[in-house]
Amino acid sequence: MSNRHVAIDVQNVTQRFRIIHERPDTLRELFANFLRHDVSYHDFDAVKDVSLQVHSGQMLGLVGRNGSGKSTLLKIIAGVYKPTSGRVHLSGKVAPLIELGAGFHSELTGRENIMINGLLMGFSKKEMLEKEQRIIEFADIGEFIDSPVKQYSSGMYTRLAFSIATEVDPEILIVDEILSVGDAGFQQKSFARIQEFREAGKTILFVSHSMPMVTAHCDRAVLLESGSVVADGDPIEVAALYEALVNPPVAVS
Amino acid sequence: MKELVVETYKYRELIWALALKEIKVRYKRSVLGFLWALLNPALMMVVLTLVFSTIMRFNIPHYSIFLLSVLLPWTFFSQSLSYAVDSIVGNSELIKKVAVPKLVFPMAAVISNVINLLLSLIPLAILVPLLGHPFYWTWIFLPVPMLALIIFTIGMTFFFAAANVYYRDVAHIVQIILSAWFYLTPIIYSVEMLPEKYRWIFKLNPIIYVVNGFRLSVYYGMLPQLKSVAASFACAFVALFIGFAVFRKYQDNFVFYV
Repeated sequence: MSNRHVAIDVQNVTQRFRIIHERPDTLRELFANFLRHDVSYHDFDAVKDVSLQVHSGQMLGLVGRNGSGKSTLLKIIAGVYKPTSGRVHLSGKVAPLIELGAGFHSELTGRENIMINGLLMGFSKKEMLEKEQRIIEFADIGEFIDSPVKQYSSGMYTRLAFSIATEVDPEILIVDEILSVGDAGFQQKSFARIQEFREAGKTILFVSHSMPMVTAHCDRAVLLESGSVVADGDPIEVAALYEALVNPPVAVS
Repeated sequence: MKELVVETYKYRELIWALALKEIKVRYKRSVLGFLWALLNPALMMVVLTLVFSTIMRFNIPHYSIFLLSVLLPWTFFSQSLSYAVDSIVGNSELIKKVAVPKLVFPMAAVISNVINLLLSLIPLAILVPLLGHPFYWTWIFLPVPMLALIIFTIGMTFFFAAANVYYRDVAHIVQIILSAWFYLTPIIYSVEMLPEKYRWIFKLNPIIYVVNGFRLSVYYGMLPQLKSVAASFACAFVALFIGFAVFRKYQDNFVFYV
């Protein structure tokens, strides 16, 4: 592992959200609150001083309970959030599969969405035209590629999104829970694709609540709790810790 | 400012694709589709020409050309602003999930309207000879005021799109500003119709210099003075500078408010 470079380098990242109790959405509310001196809020650190280095070729499973900061951390790594403090360094392009079909426009066709999605990830039109055919083939949605995506089934949606994210050949792939949507055949195909990615020395960040999936596919796991890393290492051990968190052993008195 | 140029160039394909998307979506479910982009201004012109040649008669020959030469760029301005003010909030689904420079959204909204503006010039070019108005060579000057107008519009949209993220009232306020601004700008009238002592007030209106350029080249067959052209670009760049400075300052926080 030592000869491989660090693909994702997260240094002391903190993401603070200011939770304003009844945030004024309109000027009227703002004035009303201002007059009443009634702007109450509390600060909340969704991610607290997290440092994490992921080497290229690693598949890291990110686990934790709901609200533990997984999604926030993913969004910071994907560049959607600019962290309150700390820094993130990535080597290479990231394909975020954070939520299904982010960036899909329902009125546009699959083909048009492939282009817009690719451009959003920072690829050029020319690159996307070259990749288009392979994306369509892997997604396996047939003639539907020229229909508006609002007519797609959720499986087709997932397949297209996954196909785009992986065919664009990113150095870093972020997969957030979405693989549970497709059918068994597509899941197999997806994991085969992910396996190819690992063999090609790419980095995968995998978020899941399914410990069997994490232990089966990841070679390292990180457990987040209340925004901090509480365990980092062997997936089987981390998964056991997670299970203990979710189902605390009942104390017998 | 350098960031604006670099990012715009880097993401030019995305901006273009988003602008086309906006147009496609706008006409998607209509039978005539993209033709509406041409038909819409053409039909508006027919209505205005009928109204002003029969019902309301002004003492201005070919009043409809007089009006349209400025109404078309104004429509571009007001529609761009109306669309773009919502461009960040309206794209919240994307902004929350993909790392993408925020400036592409207001830019794309303006560019899609530039396409509409260019298309609306086609029916105008047909209408001019149809009404027996001379087709002046000065039409070739139009790209100059157009460029100033586009820069000015982008600057304004940056400001209002950013403000709308924090206070959704802004979208409504923009509508009111636009309707007041419409009457304060010599669109349906000309500055010469006003008493001399009030004319200076109009010189404070940043859009008047652009308007002047359009009307002179299409209706009067004249070129604006260099001073006026310079003023139009000065206003445009001041708007762009302030608008982008505000936008840039807040853009990293948009994702938390949309």
